[in-house]
Amino acid sequence: MKVGVIGVGCSKFGVRRDVTLQEVAFEAVKEAMTDAGVSRDDVELSVVGTAGTRSYELMPAVPVNEYCGFAGKGPLRVEAACATGSAAVYVAYSSIKAGLVDVAIAIGCEKMTEVDTATSLAVGGRGGSYLWEFHQYGTTFPGHYAMHASAHMSRYGTTEKQMALVAVKNHRNAARNPKAHFQKEVTLEEALASSYVAYPLRLFDCSPISDGAAAAILASEKKIKELGVDNPIWISGVGYSSDTANLSRREDYGGLRATVNASRMAYKMAGIDSPLKQLDIATVHDCFTIAEIMAYEDLGFCRKGEGGMFIKEGESDFGGSIPVNTFGGLKAKGHPLGATGVAMVYEVVKQLRGEAGSLQVDLKNYKGLTHNIGGTGHFGWVFVFEV
Amino acid sequence: MESRPFVLKHMLPISRVERYWKGLEEGKIYGTRCQSCGASFYPPQADCSFCYSGDMDWVEIDGEGVVECFTRIQRPPQGFEFASGGYVIVVAAFGSFKVMGWFKGEGLPEVGMKVKAETGKDELGVWKVYLTPL
Repeated sequence: MKVGVIGVGCSKFGVRRDVTLQEVAFEAVKEAMTDAGVSRDDVELSVVGTAGTRSYELMPAVPVNEYCGFAGKGPLRVEAACATGSAAVYVAYSSIKAGLVDVAIAIGCEKMTEVDTATSLAVGGRGGSYLWEFHQYGTTFPGHYAMHASAHMSRYGTTEKQMALVAVKNHRNAARNPKAHFQKEVTLEEALASSYVAYPLRLFDCSPISDGAAAAILASEKKIKELGVDNPIWISGVGYSSDTANLSRREDYGGLRATVNASRMAYKMAGIDSPLKQLDIATVHDCFTIAEIMAYEDLGFCRKGEGGMFIKEGESDFGGSIPVNTFGGLKAKGHPLGATGVAMVYEVVKQLRGEAGSLQVDLKNYKGLTHNIGGTGHFGWVFVFEV
Repeated sequence: MESRPFVLKHMLPISRVERYWKGLEEGKIYGTRCQSCGASFYPPQADCSFCYSGDMDWVEIDGEGVVECFTRIQRPPQGFEFASGGYVIVVAAFGSFKVMGWFKGEGLPEVGMKVKAETGKDELGVWKVYLTPL
């Protein structure tokens, strides 16, 4: 039995001091419900994905669920760091796949700007293994990826300029996305002139600290027929993986094993053996520019070590081999942790339906991919979608 | 408006790996190795994640390490205000163990640089590993 996405919604991302977590989640849920054309009675299960801690609501699923009108229908609260949204989609998907429910909603939401930057860094720095990393050495989330960048640059000759090109591309796309945190282009020179946050990553190599929410309504094939939905986007591939909590226990720092394993699992399920030829669009986890470069390689878009050239030659831009992060990516659209994975689904669904406006990609295969990483490869999720 | 203050400070249960923390005070860095399957662990742990044995040997890590990756933290997080000028974090391989530490040397390290490990405590009294160029 197939499972399809029948409705998606996404709030405006950014510094949203105007709304509570519940209110920003509501923006996304309302749009998704309208998009799907279903009522609250149709939804049998609510899954709330939020990483938490930076928001004043420390047990946020129930308040979010209540505000969105789903009291009594769950909620299941899931957390997978920056991949929380994908984990929420998976719980909704698997509940339908198991035959437990026919319609489920995945709500991804995050308020990250209710604490100051130093506190936010201290929360993110606890993303690996607190006692052995943050407690002793003050690791930060930018620092985790910066360590990977140092290894990638040393081994493959990847340059700061190539990393900055990811920022330039994603800001250019975000400038045309009214829901993006940064609707503003940056030049290569500006990106390369910004100060280091964690060497070798500069400010413009980093995604912002954002608030936002996204929602996706999933349904069984049977229910989709019953509802008469004429534009479902089917989930044809699902892959997940993870890696060690401690970075010191990783075999290698030139890529993310969780991406490799999750993508091959999803590719096998979806019958993808040549992603560049079979996919029209990809959203990849670009929390930092080096992350997008490693993702090109680990997802099999290019060979290991060639990610820097892949961006330099425009292969991931509109008109290239595969447009990547067409809505601006985490880098410029924003990265409210719980929302991100669901917002990726929003983007791919809009693209595959042909509803992406000025950011629309050419559709040949009518297939797209989401790649969402939690921590630094601590969680890895890949979904393949098709019309 | 602001929320009520909420301070989180946890007690850290370290009794099963106390030898590691005592070792740092003695200038020694310990990992553990499973007596049953030979798996090595750094950071040390009291249980084997692979064969589930609880019989572990403490193994001292010393000699020459090789830098595998590094970063210089320019924006320290809450709790590291004492290091507002930044600090360099390194992961270096010492045989079958990889060790994280603060770099103690001029400028930035390089991947492939040879280092030795020392121990010491920071301004807040937290013991840690320092990696110094050879």
